[in-house]
Amino acid sequence: MADFERQDGTTRDELVQRIALMEKMIAEGRQSTARYGWMFVLWGLTYFAAIAWTVYLPYTEWAWPACIAACSVAFGVVRTRHRAGGTIDNLRRHSLDAVWQVIGGGIILYLIAVIVSGHGKEPDYLAAVLFFNGLANGVSARILRWWPQGVAAAIWWGCGTAMLFFTTRTEELALFVTATFCGMILFGVYAMWLERHAAAGMVQAHA
Amino acid sequence: MAEFEQADGVTRDELVQRVEMMERLIAEGRQTTVRFGWVFLLWGLIDLVGVGWGELQPDFRWVWPITISAGFVLQFIILALRRKGGYRCGGSMRGRSVAAVWRMMGLTVLLYVLAAIVQHKAGQISYIAAILMFVGMAHAISAMILRWLAQGIVAGVWLAGGVATFFVPRSYVLGVFIAEMCLGMVLFGLYAMWLERRNGAQGE
Repeated sequence: MADFERQDGTTRDELVQRIALMEKMIAEGRQSTARYGWMFVLWGLTYFAAIAWTVYLPYTEWAWPACIAACSVAFGVVRTRHRAGGTIDNLRRHSLDAVWQVIGGGIILYLIAVIVSGHGKEPDYLAAVLFFNGLANGVSARILRWWPQGVAAAIWWGCGTAMLFFTTRTEELALFVTATFCGMILFGVYAMWLERHAAAGMVQAHA
Repeated sequence: MAEFEQADGVTRDELVQRVEMMERLIAEGRQTTVRFGWVFLLWGLIDLVGVGWGELQPDFRWVWPITISAGFVLQFIILALRRKGGYRCGGSMRGRSVAAVWRMMGLTVLLYVLAAIVQHKAGQISYIAAILMFVGMAHAISAMILRWLAQGIVAGVWLAGGVATFFVPRSYVLGVFIAEMCLGMVLFGLYAMWLERRNGAQGE
């Protein structure tokens, strides 16, 4: 062992630890998405709230800005608490963070531009929002090689495409609600179930 | 050394090789994007050809389907030629993540453009802005993954163009689109190709 250490100052234990760390980082990407299942549910419910406001409540022009602002605050608070409890930080996690931060920010920027410029009456901007969500899920699915998220992406893309063909207000509403429910809330619940399932497996393994 | 090998059957050289391989894979991400500079240049030029053709023949509905199809055929041929010439795509995790971003962006834009063309909605402001935003988002994600300032600036140009489309007079929208193609696609593609050539020269 002493001979080994003399060659370049790196001990065998150090090398083994570095390899174990890198292999763990590579394996943790999908698990970390399952950990963030609550985000999908939160944003899905926010979309529902905004849609319900635009249909049933007055001051509809404030529906999306108010709901997104409220959700962003709730999101920030919950995420800070999650981070305090420890997070997984690896290359895939970093890539997925980049995907969701950029596309989330992009959607908000796009919606603000639509509303402020007075193009909110053009219904087709909603189709673009569905495609943005499809893009985020599609990239994540591809990075994680995870087919359930690929299905979520296909739902978003399918509803976005359909929205360009079915143009009455009721049809657009139905497509938006379907995409949000299946591609966000249902997928989020599934991810949360996976997280719980994985946690229960770890408890059994340690028992 | 013998004692080391007996511990779990893994030699020191094997461990060193595995560590070196992983570190090399992690470092290759940005280089992969640089190698694909020609793709940005190609699509920038193809889009400019489409815009020009559309201006010359505004009533011809097949301008964009033909232009986009020709773009895919050209890209496929150039990729095949490069692979034949011994070129291989980097297989690092960052490289794969960036490739995933651009493949999915391409698929998303293709679906969106096809549906909009079939439904004759390709002239709407929200449609044009969304396309600029798609490309801007892909650049921004790549820039964040690769921690690459130059690509971050390009992303900013695309996203700013997407927002500006909503606010400029209708007659200026085409100008915004052309400016984006020249700055964010052709110029960035040339810059990436220059970087690739410089890296290649240094390697020699």
